[in-house]
Amino acid sequence: MSSSMCLRCLKRSLVPIESSLPLTAGQRAAFSTSPSLAANPPKKTAKPTKTNARQGKTLKLTKNKRAATTRPPATGERKALRKRVVLSNTNALDVPGLQDLTTDSVSGVKLRELQDKVAGLGNDTVDALRALEAFKPTQGWSLFRRPASLVRRETVELAELLQAIQDSNGHQVERRVVFGEKVGGKSVLLLQAMAMAYLKGWLVVHYPEAKDMTIAHTAYQPVTTADGKTIYIQPQYTAHLLGNIAKANRGLLSNMRLAGQHQLPVPLPPNCSLLRLVELGANDADLAWPVWQALWTELTTPSQPEQEGLQRPPLFVGMDGVDFIMRDSAYLDSEAQPVHAHELALVRDYADILSGKTSLPNGGLVLAATTGSNRPSAPTFHHYLNRNHAEAHLPTLVSLRDRLRAQAVDAHSASDLNFAELDSLLSTLPPSLADQLHTFRRRAMASQRSNASVAKFLAACDTFQPELPHWDPYLAIDQRVADVMGNVRVQKLQGLSKEEARGVMEYYAQSGMLRHTVTDGLVSEKWTLAGNGIIGELEKGAVRARF
Amino acid sequence: MEYTLLRTGFRRAIVACQNPAKRRVAVQPRRYFATPVESQGGPDEIRAAPPIRFQSDDNQFSQSRPRAELIDNANFSRGGRGGGRGREAGGAGGGQEVDYRQLLRRIRIVPASPSYFTATPRYTDDLLHLSSLLRAHQVLPLLPPGQAPRVAWKTIDQYKTELAEPIRSKSYNTLLQLLKRLNYIHPSLMPQEVTDALEKYKRDVQPHLNVPNPIVVNEYGVARAVGRRKSSSAQVYVVEGTGECLINGKSLTEYFGRLHDRESAIWALKATQRIDKYNVWALASGGGTTGQAEAITLGVARALMAHEPDLKPALRRAGCVTRNPKRVERKKPGKLKARKMPAWVKR
Repeated sequence: MSSSMCLRCLKRSLVPIESSLPLTAGQRAAFSTSPSLAANPPKKTAKPTKTNARQGKTLKLTKNKRAATTRPPATGERKALRKRVVLSNTNALDVPGLQDLTTDSVSGVKLRELQDKVAGLGNDTVDALRALEAFKPTQGWSLFRRPASLVRRETVELAELLQAIQDSNGHQVERRVVFGEKVGGKSVLLLQAMAMAYLKGWLVVHYPEAKDMTIAHTAYQPVTTADGKTIYIQPQYTAHLLGNIAKANRGLLSNMRLAGQHQLPVPLPPNCSLLRLVELGANDADLAWPVWQALWTELTTPSQPEQEGLQRPPLFVGMDGVDFIMRDSAYLDSEAQPVHAHELALVRDYADILSGKTSLPNGGLVLAATTGSNRPSAPTFHHYLNRNHAEAHLPTLVSLRDRLRAQAVDAHSASDLNFAELDSLLSTLPPSLADQLHTFRRRAMASQRSNASVAKFLAACDTFQPELPHWDPYLAIDQRVADVMGNVRVQKLQGLSKEEARGVMEYYAQSGMLRHTVTDGLVSEKWTLAGNGIIGELEKGAVRARF
Repeated sequence: MEYTLLRTGFRRAIVACQNPAKRRVAVQPRRYFATPVESQGGPDEIRAAPPIRFQSDDNQFSQSRPRAELIDNANFSRGGRGGGRGREAGGAGGGQEVDYRQLLRRIRIVPASPSYFTATPRYTDDLLHLSSLLRAHQVLPLLPPGQAPRVAWKTIDQYKTELAEPIRSKSYNTLLQLLKRLNYIHPSLMPQEVTDALEKYKRDVQPHLNVPNPIVVNEYGVARAVGRRKSSSAQVYVVEGTGECLINGKSLTEYFGRLHDRESAIWALKATQRIDKYNVWALASGGGTTGQAEAITLGVARALMAHEPDLKPALRRAGCVTRNPKRVERKKPGKLKARKMPAWVKR
């Protein structure tokens, strides 16, 4: 058939001559200038120019200036930050079944059930204790969900004591000093006593740090007493203490009214409640000292239960760091001689209560705790602590000797006697008595081993006269301290027992702060590493240790 | 005697000078010739040696007797025939009338030991003696390998000094091998002669005999051990108990403020989980806090091993067994401290 085109053109029309895209790789050119021509011209990069050291800018180091843009802290802000007490850690777990100390549970019998366990504190109690500054920043309250503390054997004894004082209806006043190793739990024992007293409806007065009174950090002024002696009052600190008392005992004080007349610089309203009086003193430093005197007069008037507003509950007076008041203070008198701490008015009042010179007609507990980590040198005070501690154990020692003597009189030979009691007593005695008992024990054992006659052992008994520690007569004794401490009972706070250690470690584990399983082995290990169960070291080793 | 020799020598020399055919090598002993050269008679006639008259005296060859005896020249006759030469060896002994002159002509001196002909006679004697002992007692039972008593043998220098002979180290090692092999004989069956022979080769001071006294648990159940670290030392008393610890009369927390030091002190008990099983009472002195803590560690570990010897591998893994030998390095002259140099100044 004939076509309009030639055969060659037909073929060419069927096959595209040139396509925009090359069909195969071979059809693409190896090199092409098209892309490079089509591209944008290259951007000029900034070349680092060679700087001549002599010309141009030189390096200037700015002076090390403190940033002046931040706001300087307000007066007292840094101190407040340093001394703030955090009582809660929301990251810690809530311990299920944590029983609180309540008015019911703090009776001695009920508290025994809580022994070796940790008991929490209710909100009201916590508020009162916080007002009294019973919590310390160095303690471990900020590690747990709620404030809680271990109920030790000593806590239960204190609860029983409080109960006994309350039951005696104002006739019993117990005066005690608690001492022991540092971080041994003395301050916390004081806190527990305060909490229990508060729950029982007592009036609680607490000197949080005796050091603050005696290191001359607060203003003081001399005042002449009626006898002609000069004492020193500390108005600002007194106001501070009055503020604490008002906040902590608000409920009780508001229900009490003044029993007698008081001479104050400002006139008092006719039916003034004690709370109003105390707040008056708390707000004004000039009124603080007269108000303080008035308050104490009120608190030491016998209670009149039938009159409304004149009932006076028992009083709890606590002090922490009592070593500081048993020596010279840092104040100087007008002759630039050091002022003894007992010449400070506040301290004098406390010392009178502690020694029993000022009686508490409504009963009460006067408890003082020494300080371990911050101990000043007060030789007379520490001598009396040791002496009174030994005095408390002396009767048991003498009775043991007498019993052994009675046994020996009946026995045929020394080998029949049983000296097991000697060994058990040896571990509980204070060191001064323990040494004497150890000597006696050696002689007794020697006579037993040599199968000597009973007469030899009886002779040993006769020569065994346990003595209290003596004051070195060549050293000057602080007579004021000796007079105060002569009549005060003393309690040494030792380490925890293994059961108590277990109880507190289980609490740590349940709070999530101790990540190990609490086994007997772990408890024993932590107990030994804590120097035979010192609770502060136990907490450090179990909770605070960082790995 | 020498006169005869001289005369014979001179005669031969004259003959040799006059007659070249008769020049021959200087004096040759007759016995090298297989057959007699000259006929009987004459001064060089070979005759059978006279029998050695042995004496019954046991001490005739003993070394305590003088081997040499000076003989008076006047008593000596010249007509001594060439039979015996050399000096008299070993006196005749007391009680026997011996004609020394006759004896000298007839005795044959033999060395006390064939080793005389070696380069190191005494060494050779020793080696042979030990080899003979080994051969005699090689069937005796041996101790298991590695359990022979450790002995410090003499060094080659000490041995050489004693013997005054040139001995190669290879030779001495051979000797040592024999000694060690003999040392392996079971002590219950060790012959006395072997013990006596070995004693000669031991050093004067045997360091392996310096063993520490074993730590024992006394009748009250208390084990006492001593530990040292740097310049601190601690005496530690460990007794079974409930986990109490007193150091210099103070509790663990009173004495060591640092938790690390407290843990170190009772690390041996902690590593073996026996803190609540034992009570520790320690007296530490010297050095500083950590040094005393580490010294107590070592003491507690040793005392614990006295109570329970099987704990040794566990304590070794815990690092309580080895005494850390480090001590403070002394200050040297020219330096500020042990190693610190003063600031370098260019000139």
